[in-house]
Amino acid sequence: MAYDSPGNIRQGMWSRRSFMKSTAAGVAATAVTGGGLLRQAAADTGLRSIGLGVSEINEIQGQATKDLGFPVAGQAMGYGEMFSKMLNQNDQYEIAEGYYNDMRVMAPAKVWQPLEIKKLKDWDKVTNLTKIGKLTPESSEGQGDAPFKLMWCDASGTIVKGPSDYIIMCPGWHNADSLGYNPKATGRPIESWGELLSKDFKGRVALINVPQIGVMDAALAVEALGLKKFADKGNMTKAEIDFLVDYLIPLKKAGHFRAFWENFGQSVNLMVNGEVALESMWSPAVAAIQAESVPCVYAFPKEGMRGWHGGLAISAKVKGKQLDQAYEYINWWLGGWAGAFVARQGYYHSIPENAKKYLSAEEWDYWYDGKPAAKDLSDPFGTVIIKKGDVRSGGSYWNRYSKINVWNSIMQENDYLVKRWTEFLTA
Amino acid sequence: MTTVETYAKLANNPRASRGLIGGAPAVRAEDEVKRKYRREPGFPVPILIAPATLWLVIFLFLPLLSIFIFSFWKATGHGMVPAFSFEHYRAFFVSEGFFDPKNADFLTPSVFIRTLWTTFRFTITVMAICLLLAYPLAYFLSMQVEDFKWQLALFLLAMVPFWTSYLIRAVAWLPMLGRHGLINEFLINIGAIDEPVSFFLYSEFSYTMALVQLYVVLAVGPIFFSLAKIDRTLIEAARDMGATPFQIFREIILPLSLPGIAIGMIFVFVMVMGEFATAVVVYGGKTSTTGTVILNYYVIANYPFAAVNAIMLMLAMMIGVGVILRVVDIRKEL
Repeated sequence: MAYDSPGNIRQGMWSRRSFMKSTAAGVAATAVTGGGLLRQAAADTGLRSIGLGVSEINEIQGQATKDLGFPVAGQAMGYGEMFSKMLNQNDQYEIAEGYYNDMRVMAPAKVWQPLEIKKLKDWDKVTNLTKIGKLTPESSEGQGDAPFKLMWCDASGTIVKGPSDYIIMCPGWHNADSLGYNPKATGRPIESWGELLSKDFKGRVALINVPQIGVMDAALAVEALGLKKFADKGNMTKAEIDFLVDYLIPLKKAGHFRAFWENFGQSVNLMVNGEVALESMWSPAVAAIQAESVPCVYAFPKEGMRGWHGGLAISAKVKGKQLDQAYEYINWWLGGWAGAFVARQGYYHSIPENAKKYLSAEEWDYWYDGKPAAKDLSDPFGTVIIKKGDVRSGGSYWNRYSKINVWNSIMQENDYLVKRWTEFLTA
Repeated sequence: MTTVETYAKLANNPRASRGLIGGAPAVRAEDEVKRKYRREPGFPVPILIAPATLWLVIFLFLPLLSIFIFSFWKATGHGMVPAFSFEHYRAFFVSEGFFDPKNADFLTPSVFIRTLWTTFRFTITVMAICLLLAYPLAYFLSMQVEDFKWQLALFLLAMVPFWTSYLIRAVAWLPMLGRHGLINEFLINIGAIDEPVSFFLYSEFSYTMALVQLYVVLAVGPIFFSLAKIDRTLIEAARDMGATPFQIFREIILPLSLPGIAIGMIFVFVMVMGEFATAVVVYGGKTSTTGTVILNYYVIANYPFAAVNAIMLMLAMMIGVGVILRVVDIRKEL
């Protein structure tokens, strides 16, 4: 169940109203695109795209279908399901809307084909965040699997130190995660990852139960408390993993952690039901929690946030007309309509100036510029989630991304990590 | 063997009931032979079993076989390649420093064995509670309720939880047990506690309770049916001969309902051993089951190791079912 609730992960479709609406739209879209898929089998045209609920939203692929003139069918999946399908069934999709932190697995498996830069229309406008790892010249690159380390490849799809003429995945939407907290319950503003392990919040803390990510949140906390300095939190050594888990086990036994959540909905419920005071959180959860009249703030820790980056790749099996269409779809994504759509859920687009074209001035000011909202703002489905005067925590896009502490990663010691994480949970 | 038990056995076995008042007439030897080799007219057996066999071979036997084969393959980090290696079995059983006297906890089994053990321990607890709850319920339904219509109605009522989806049944505990849940609010309102109690939810307590609630019906059904099958005249006869209610229960009802207990317990055992989702919902993911371990390794594309865990889980289940079947010889009892 944990991994199989498609669309819940990092998705803002939480309110009953928007859920009903999107369900209805989903049924309609399935009816339409389902027919489209059948036609596609005959005509070998049109695209099937798989990914998380962040980018696979009926409205987005529906708009693409309308703008491009061929059917684009999107399928939102749970993370594990998506990962397995991308890796093992690349004849079942044309477009993979994937994540750079899975690249260490996907690239050597050669399930995707290298994208030719010259075919990407607006490539010049893509920010330096993915090209060289620094959004602004002063930015720090961040530890772990920063996209720029895993994006560039040669004509055969092997990762190279960039820049080159090819990339494996075209950068799209991204965000930075941190902690969410209920200021009434904590009684003080949360400004450091270290608060996650503070004794003051014993029994009122939740951590994300994805070993690769949960361990990084814990490492950020341990480092913030000055207990240990990790050389690379995105690629820890066995000794570092041991130190961390051995530190966490007694805490768990003493009842420090209220729960370990596995999907978006769970993280929202934990805070709404008053079970936790602070927890690992994805940013759309804040709006979801506030919608239930529970105060919630997204922390901007002084140590920096944990970044993640998604993008679009083309299956190695795609060729001919479908390949051209796949490039058209990617270029459409870069064009900004979809980027503006996900911006209203708090995600950023790799070409901000293109997203700006489709955002109102107030929306741009709030989501990208970090200015107070000039009026109430809605999520992509029309529910008001930002009240006039609200300010985005961490400020502007450029400020938030100047200080990414670590990127979501798959460590070389992944097997060992999962083993110790199992031990942590069993303790 | 006590007298009552002997009668019960005899009455239940028509072939052995020769000469008893009310028993079936003795079976003649040639009829016995005929019974054994009789063929029903109609479709030949191979045709009747072909669809199920085909289905099981394609969708059960072959996948199981492939899981077994994959468990020896090598993981590449993004898939697997054919090999014949025991490394994943080794990783399952042997943890670093195991049986190395220099290591502080050199006698601690590997985390995967411990996880399987935790899974097993929980399962036994849940089975015991399920039995304690299900037996009186089934007894009431079959023995106390006289009218068949009422029996059926109440039995269906006991099945109500199964009318809704698994997830709803699990999630429904949250508003009940949470810090601001019904129980806590109630206790605060009557002044029993000042602060909400965390213990009710995301604890071993809530986990056990949810599992029992989810699976107790699986035990009620078989026990109910085996109790309902008991010939009432036996009980009457025992009463006439001066047996106390406890004697009747111990020597007639309990032995005759053992098959139902065994089948019910097998259902619960197999379901709870394979659990991984309930722990996330009501235990806040604060434990690992072998099911979650399989999932975690599957998600990082270490398929061989996930396969090893799956095989170990299956072995544990087979042993458990074997033990239950040893205690109760279902074939004989039925």
